[in-house]
Amino acid sequence: MAFDWLNKFQHRVEKDPDYAAKTLAAYRLGMKAKGSIVGVAIEPAPDCCAAARELPAGKVYHPDQAPLLPLPDCPQGRRCACLYRPVMTYQQ
Amino acid sequence: MLDVFLRIPLFKLYRRFGRPRLLPLNLTLSPSPKCNSRCLTCNIWMKRENELTLEEWDKVLASLGRAPYWFTISGGEPLMYPQVVQLTQSVYEHCRPGVINIPTNGILPNIPENVQRIARACPQSHVIINLSLDGVGEKHDFIRGVPGNFRKFEQCLEQLLSLRRQFNNLTIGIHSVISVFNAEHLDEIIAYADRSGADQFITEIAEPRVELDTVGLPITPSAESYAKAIDHLIAYVESKRFTGIARITEALRVEYYKLVKRILDEQDQVIACYAGWVSAHIYADGTVWPCCVRGDNLGNLRDHNYDFKEIWFGEKIQEVRRSIAAKECHCPLANAAYTSMLHDIKTLARVGAKLLRPGDKIGL
Repeated sequence: MAFDWLNKFQHRVEKDPDYAAKTLAAYRLGMKAKGSIVGVAIEPAPDCCAAARELPAGKVYHPDQAPLLPLPDCPQGRRCACLYRPVMTYQQ
Repeated sequence: MLDVFLRIPLFKLYRRFGRPRLLPLNLTLSPSPKCNSRCLTCNIWMKRENELTLEEWDKVLASLGRAPYWFTISGGEPLMYPQVVQLTQSVYEHCRPGVINIPTNGILPNIPENVQRIARACPQSHVIINLSLDGVGEKHDFIRGVPGNFRKFEQCLEQLLSLRRQFNNLTIGIHSVISVFNAEHLDEIIAYADRSGADQFITEIAEPRVELDTVGLPITPSAESYAKAIDHLIAYVESKRFTGIARITEALRVEYYKLVKRILDEQDQVIACYAGWVSAHIYADGTVWPCCVRGDNLGNLRDHNYDFKEIWFGEKIQEVRRSIAAKECHCPLANAAYTSMLHDIKTLARVGAKLLRPGDKIGL
């Protein structure tokens, strides 16, 4: 994929303390305001924790139901490299 | 403008040796992510931030002084920001830039009134308003996610073109984002722009950006698809005859389009990127970024007494500059690319040669 470096780069960035709340609130608003977003997926990091590995691959969540990142007990804390990604109509 | 060219060798030294320390020439401000478009290529409109107040912006701009030459007031939809006129006035009063560039979706009915106020308030700056156009007719509405957007775009364009006659410092352009959704229709957009009466037609490519929350989304056209579309635009530009400063800007644009082709093809920086030295971005909540693609948090102005220099000459930016200089990133971001091109000798030589070539329609 073009600009794959950016994907890897973003995985490495330390998360803000309100990462989950803020990102999911944005997606919630996006769905409510009838944007082309249909939900949120979790893109696990290559070296993610056991709990992240157990998440169903490719599952699209409603922002209200998405697991909060970092997952509880993630040993990497705010260095957790898993990310939320918006899922768009044109991807389905 | 001469001052800008005089600073080029200094910025080259700054990037290479860390001295002399300089503030950026090219600054993008995003006062708010809010937007009334629902573009397929952008998700910034979903975001909400603890936005800097006008008083806070005023302090930030005072700390920059007369260093920046080029300001882009971006968004979200910048002309939806309630204090956009006052913010622009503050930019003008503190920094007196050569250029103030504002993109807009053309939807709100008060856009021409605000543009008029801005052009009047900034008489010594060149105010450029670029109206977004991603397709003709319903194709535009589909990509922008707003029914009736194209009709509003046309009304707004007509009003702005009429306004242009009152202000020597006002340029009205059309700006298209070339994405997987419209790359095959670029010819139609070029033809529309050509007969629109707009002063300029510019494009950039839809790309993943941290700012827009588009990382990983399949919006960027393939290298082949982009090349096919942009070659038509290059042929169009080269078939036109430009005069005055437009000769230089159009020659630079052709260079930019060719640069994007190479970046897509080679997946490399191609020319040295000067984001983080010459260009920077201040996000709505006061966070300073080297660019909106990486969105590295260099620091928040609220934590630095609104003094841009504290962040720009601080410790945290050093690692980001190292990463950019080491070519750990590459992208076709137009805003940064144009300033980087000004620092690339080969690009400048090609532009110069083109301007001097006899019989070239962009040339003399």
